Amino acid sequence: MSTISRLPELVEITIDGRPVRVAAGTSVFDAARMNGTAIPTLCHLQNETPVGVCRLCVVDTGARVLAASCVRPVEPGMKVVTNSEKVLSARKTLLELLMADHPSPCARQEKSGDCELETLAQAAGVTQPRFLKRTVSRGIDDSSLAIAVDHDACILCDRCIRGCNEIKNNFVLGRMGKGYSAGIAFDLNAAMGDSTCISCGECMVSCPTGALTNKTVVGTSIAAGSDAEGFEAEELLQLPVFKGVSGTFLELNRGAIVKRRFRPGEIICREGEFGSTAFYILEGKARVSLSAPIAHVKTQGGAKGLFKKLTSTLAARDADVRSEETRDRTIPIDASVDLAYGNPVAELGSGDLFGEMTCMNFYPRSATVIAETDVVAFEMLRNVLDIMMKNKSFRAQIDQNYRKRALENHLRGVPMFADLSPDFIEHLKGSVELQRFAPGQIIARQGDAAGSFYLVRIGFVKISETYPGGELVLAYLSRGDYFGEIGLLGGGVRTATCTALDHVELVRISGGDFRDMVERFPSVRQGLEAVAAERATQNQQRMQTVRSVPIDQFLSQGLMEAQSLLILDLNSCTRCDACVNACADAHDGVTRLVREGLRFEQYLVATSCRQCRDPLCMVGCPVGSIRRRNSLEVIIEDWCIGCGLCARNCPYGNINLHPFDVMVDDLERPGRKKAVVKQKATSCDLCTHLKEPSCVYACPHDAAHRVDPRTFFSEMLGGGSSK
Amino acid sequence: MRIDRTQRGWAIASLIMIAVFTAVYVAYAARAPQGPRGGSAFGLTFGVIGFGFMIVAALLGARKRVPTWRIGRAQAWMRGHLWLGLLSLPVILFHGGFHFGGTLTSVLMWLLIITVVSGLFGAELQHYVPRVMTSDVKLETIYDEIGNVRKLLREEADRAVETVCGPIGVGKSASEEVLRAGGLSAARPMSLTGSLGAVAAAAETAVLTEEECAPLRQFYLSEMRPFLEQPRVRGSRLGDADKAHGAFSGLRTLLPPPAQATVEDLEDICDEARQLVRQERLHHLLHGWLLVHIPLSLALIILGAVHAVMALRYS
Repeated sequence: MSTISRLPELVEITIDGRPVRVAAGTSVFDAARMNGTAIPTLCHLQNETPVGVCRLCVVDTGARVLAASCVRPVEPGMKVVTNSEKVLSARKTLLELLMADHPSPCARQEKSGDCELETLAQAAGVTQPRFLKRTVSRGIDDSSLAIAVDHDACILCDRCIRGCNEIKNNFVLGRMGKGYSAGIAFDLNAAMGDSTCISCGECMVSCPTGALTNKTVVGTSIAAGSDAEGFEAEELLQLPVFKGVSGTFLELNRGAIVKRRFRPGEIICREGEFGSTAFYILEGKARVSLSAPIAHVKTQGGAKGLFKKLTSTLAARDADVRSEETRDRTIPIDASVDLAYGNPVAELGSGDLFGEMTCMNFYPRSATVIAETDVVAFEMLRNVLDIMMKNKSFRAQIDQNYRKRALENHLRGVPMFADLSPDFIEHLKGSVELQRFAPGQIIARQGDAAGSFYLVRIGFVKISETYPGGELVLAYLSRGDYFGEIGLLGGGVRTATCTALDHVELVRISGGDFRDMVERFPSVRQGLEAVAAERATQNQQRMQTVRSVPIDQFLSQGLMEAQSLLILDLNSCTRCDACVNACADAHDGVTRLVREGLRFEQYLVATSCRQCRDPLCMVGCPVGSIRRRNSLEVIIEDWCIGCGLCARNCPYGNINLHPFDVMVDDLERPGRKKAVVKQKATSCDLCTHLKEPSCVYACPHDAAHRVDPRTFFSEMLGGGSSK
Repeated sequence: MRIDRTQRGWAIASLIMIAVFTAVYVAYAARAPQGPRGGSAFGLTFGVIGFGFMIVAALLGARKRVPTWRIGRAQAWMRGHLWLGLLSLPVILFHGGFHFGGTLTSVLMWLLIITVVSGLFGAELQHYVPRVMTSDVKLETIYDEIGNVRKLLREEADRAVETVCGPIGVGKSASEEVLRAGGLSAARPMSLTGSLGAVAAAAETAVLTEEECAPLRQFYLSEMRPFLEQPRVRGSRLGDADKAHGAFSGLRTLLPPPAQATVEDLEDICDEARQLVRQERLHHLLHGWLLVHIPLSLALIILGAVHAVMALRYS
């Protein structure tokens, strides 16, 4: 067969009275477009398969009903009318129907004035639709860092679905629901940020309305200082770490990533400062360190001398051994390395990422980073980092750095893993898997089969147990902590639910490797079994406490979880504040008590640390220095950097910051020291340095009491048992 | 401090002491040829004991200045203050043989009487007022914070009215501006440039027409806001719970259903403002008597010392 015979046959049709010849199989829409007649449409895009769902491109072909021109192929002799009264009237009605289902102005129309639907409606003179507006919202999805989803603005044209599936082959978007509840969905109707969407931006580019909009329009950009260099998307895509990242995305988020150059000695970021960016080192070396004194607050003076003034000082753990103080050798920071307790300094180099937790979760900077040589680094905002972390080549590099530099420290930082042999660590380096979880995502559910052991690398994990009528938070785990051993060593079933509180990254050790590990290293097994038994006992005791006093109000306030409450009998209290003054006197002028709080009948539960059931203070600590003792009391470890996040997180105002004058290295003048004020977080210590809490001792009216809440409230509520 | 059964020990000890002192005094007075006198051995003994009681009672103030010193619980010091201070009056009367003597001693006796009576009055207040405050002021706050809480109430009321009526033309505080910016503050910057914010600003949409919200606007601007600004000024019907309830009931009848929840909020805010006024008054009552008691006690101790020195030196 000759080539000519395989060419499509030409068909002659008439469009608005004008004869035209087009290839057979051409759609009426394309035939009109090729011959200079524009037919309005919403659901049709040139590079996507036509589906004819919006019906706005209807034309009169002389048939019984109007035809959607995007899906109607031409036929020989067809007479097409695109602008008759009947056609225009039908389109206007369709626009009215669509506008009745569309918020006006939508986000896109508001920001850039180019919502295709609203533009067409205005052109057709549709102002107030005759039809009732939708009364039930389909909701918005703000979970993606790059793209805002407004389901109410979606007109179900499917352009995004075809863009995702046909153009990018990502197969994330689809349709779900029927009738009024019909809408687009990511994966199996997950939130966009939690789905497998890689934020390539194709859906957003395809969307004709404000249903999918780029978050850039709300001002995502880094302050560009004199040292910041902007980029063209093409320039970034040349770099290996950006291989595979969507050019569309980078183009739309220009300004959310800059290149910065730092001279030797220049400070890249300071510990304790709030920020919103992460740094990726392209070239050069940087020193990461802590300038906060590695010590805790110790109050002295009362026990020995009757008239001796109490003073608070800073004491390292060797100088002042506190019960259940951790003996960790390393301090976790927001970088791919840990710092040594005795010498908190490390080096970062090319290919290292730091500031990930600050960027993703807005936690304070965990350490100070100073350029040692000339450093070139990318500084990026959260939306860029999120995409980068979904990018395979970037992830591979970060993972490799972690396995090479930090995994061993991370494992050895857990005391019971200190005995692992180098060859087994090497084996683990190759076999562990790094897993990421979005905020709120469940990592393991109570009752599920236990299959893995996890180490927390980034973020916070909530461990909770469900019981009839509620949930009990057992712990918040942060970098360096681990979980999953109880299920693996015990009955093979998860005993608690583990949930990501923020952006969490875990090191997953498979069940097989875990079994190998405990078989090869008996000391590890013994250590894990001891910890598992201890945790199981504590959990059982807590559950027993919760079950024995089923008083919802107290539970919801966390009072029954407390071991010691400061109760003020308001019928005796003359509001003289002697308790507050005594507390301040006992702690160098910084009170750890405020005479305000919850009331139960005539009793006021004063704001003094009560070891909550859900200790929110522990969430977000950038260096993981606040934790519970086994007795549930809060302990603040020596490497607290005084950023104050725990104090802000405590809903009861029970954590305070105690300032101290200390000498630190002068970062601007190396080799010299300077006096600065550093803060340390403190909470009620029950005046352990004295025989009785000062607040109680100093109350002249017998109104202040430290009580065991179980006994106290059981008696108060009518002699109920506190067993 | 509550005067209850926990005081029984001190009360019994005090009764025994006063019985002993009375018996001694009666015996001594009956045998003294010139009647009981302060300069006699018994009189001096009573004087020393009485002044000692006064000094111990006065030391409570010093004890409070060093709350962490382990020199006995403040509660024990308070009980001592109460009972020994009370006992000092009869003992000093025994010391003077119920005579007020010269100018200095008369002044001292009156000072002592007023101090003890003011102390008894204060003890009575401290027994009752805390209970009244606990029952009447459910939303009690720290006394020094009352001003701040009032400001917050005012802002909350402004917001509630603006939600249904639109802008009412009152100034906004810096904290309110932060709130309206979607809670974006320096503590949680979205970007270093101070982004316009990914969080939507608080709604300022008016749900009522101008005509519909006119009664609410009028009531708020002419009556409620002045009350919230100066709740202690007498004359506003919102200062009285019953009258305020009537005022709000009347307002409800003038407003359409969407505004009813706002009226309820405003009524709650007024109630809290009234409670704060009540707290202030009770607080003044609870601590105001100390303005009399403490200076007089101090004067009593100083003049008592002067009297002792003069009496011993020149008698």
